[in-house]
Amino acid sequence: MTYQLYIAGIKATEPDAAMTINDPIVQKSFLFNVDNSDYQQFKIDLANGTTLNDITGSAMTADQIKTFLETLP
Amino acid sequence: MAYGTVSADIVQSSVSGVSLGAGNATLMKNRFINGAFNVNQYNLGTVTPTANQYIIDRWLSNVSVASKFSVAQSSVAPAGFTNSALITSTSAYTVASSDYETFQQRIEANNMLDMGWGTANAKTVTLSFWVNCSLTGTFGGSIYFPASTTRSYPFSYTISAANTWQQIAITIPGDTVTNTAPTGTNLYCIVQWALGVGSTYTTTAGSWVNGNYASSTGATNLIATNGATFYLTGVQLEVGSSATGFEYRQYGQEFALCQRYLPAFNSVGAANQVEMITTGWVSNGASTAQFIFNYIVAPRVRPTGLTCINYNSFQINAAVGGGLASSVTFLDASTAGARFQVGQSGMTTGQACQLYYDNTTSAVGQLLFTGCEL
Repeated sequence: MTYQLYIAGIKATEPDAAMTINDPIVQKSFLFNVDNSDYQQFKIDLANGTTLNDITGSAMTADQIKTFLETLP
Repeated sequence: MAYGTVSADIVQSSVSGVSLGAGNATLMKNRFINGAFNVNQYNLGTVTPTANQYIIDRWLSNVSVASKFSVAQSSVAPAGFTNSALITSTSAYTVASSDYETFQQRIEANNMLDMGWGTANAKTVTLSFWVNCSLTGTFGGSIYFPASTTRSYPFSYTISAANTWQQIAITIPGDTVTNTAPTGTNLYCIVQWALGVGSTYTTTAGSWVNGNYASSTGATNLIATNGATFYLTGVQLEVGSSATGFEYRQYGQEFALCQRYLPAFNSVGAANQVEMITTGWVSNGASTAQFIFNYIVAPRVRPTGLTCINYNSFQINAAVGGGLASSVTFLDASTAGARFQVGQSGMTTGQACQLYYDNTTSAVGQLLFTGCEL
């Protein structure tokens, strides 16, 4: 699974959501909301080393992902 | 002409198994939604869940160890029903003490406010269901009540004949131990059927206890037998000490009840049909258009995500540009509607446009707004 960050909220200025980008059939997108099961899975996937692109589509490094993961609710 | 009978808490018709119950109302007496498994907006086919997952509307596969069973909507059903949930064990798994594998429905507090659990006026309920299993023996489950002090009521039931439909009824006294029950849109209780539960989460059946217990001591673990099957349907939870006839609701009513937890667009699936969804506008650099999805039913809470199936068959109709979507992603929502965006190119910022599903392959297109299930 590959994810990409994006800005979703109408007043948001920083990425507050992520979407899947490598499945030709199913696309999942979700806010960083602890009650959303796709978001819960996103955090598990990140912890397990999945690929994450920043808002421009560039792949983030493992260290960047680790730091980012620590900021998530 | 045969006549029915009236007793203290049941009105029995002259037809076997057809009766009215003792709840405050005999309409909407069943606190389960989609208890006959007729509504299936998720449309996933057979799924072997690797984590907790809703596979049929309102029904959650609770998974602590991945891939030990599969779940599917089935057309195998007892007389009077057309669907069931089919659960199939995928291996001969030895259940560990901390394992917790159940099939469950989570019931919203708004639909249980008359129960009074946690007070001296707690109401007795009766759980009834039809089951058909390839195994025989004593099986287990529980009601989990996440009040200020967590409470559980483990129950057991016996399947006496393999591969045979059998109706089970279990009467459960209301929990009168003083407690603060959940309210509003929060989870009131979980009713769950144990598929494989370890000793940490099992205890003696038949009484309310403190803590989280998912099954009864000594219950058969379905997932311990490779290929074992378990069909479930006609699930009902009602006030009173008797199981009464299953409450059939009109399909549109049951469907609407499900949409409170899964607002969705589902294409009808016929080939070469255009299905209009909503209107919007080109919003950003001519590469995305934004749309509002107006729910048919107000959701329990505002959605927080979107799963789009066959997203590249959704299409934008615009005076300039438009065409098949390159992405379909969630933006934000209230309980009135959800905003989402669709990727395309070559459009003109600010122009109005329409979103439709272009079904050229008979593949089902879906917009499933997530985060409303309990």
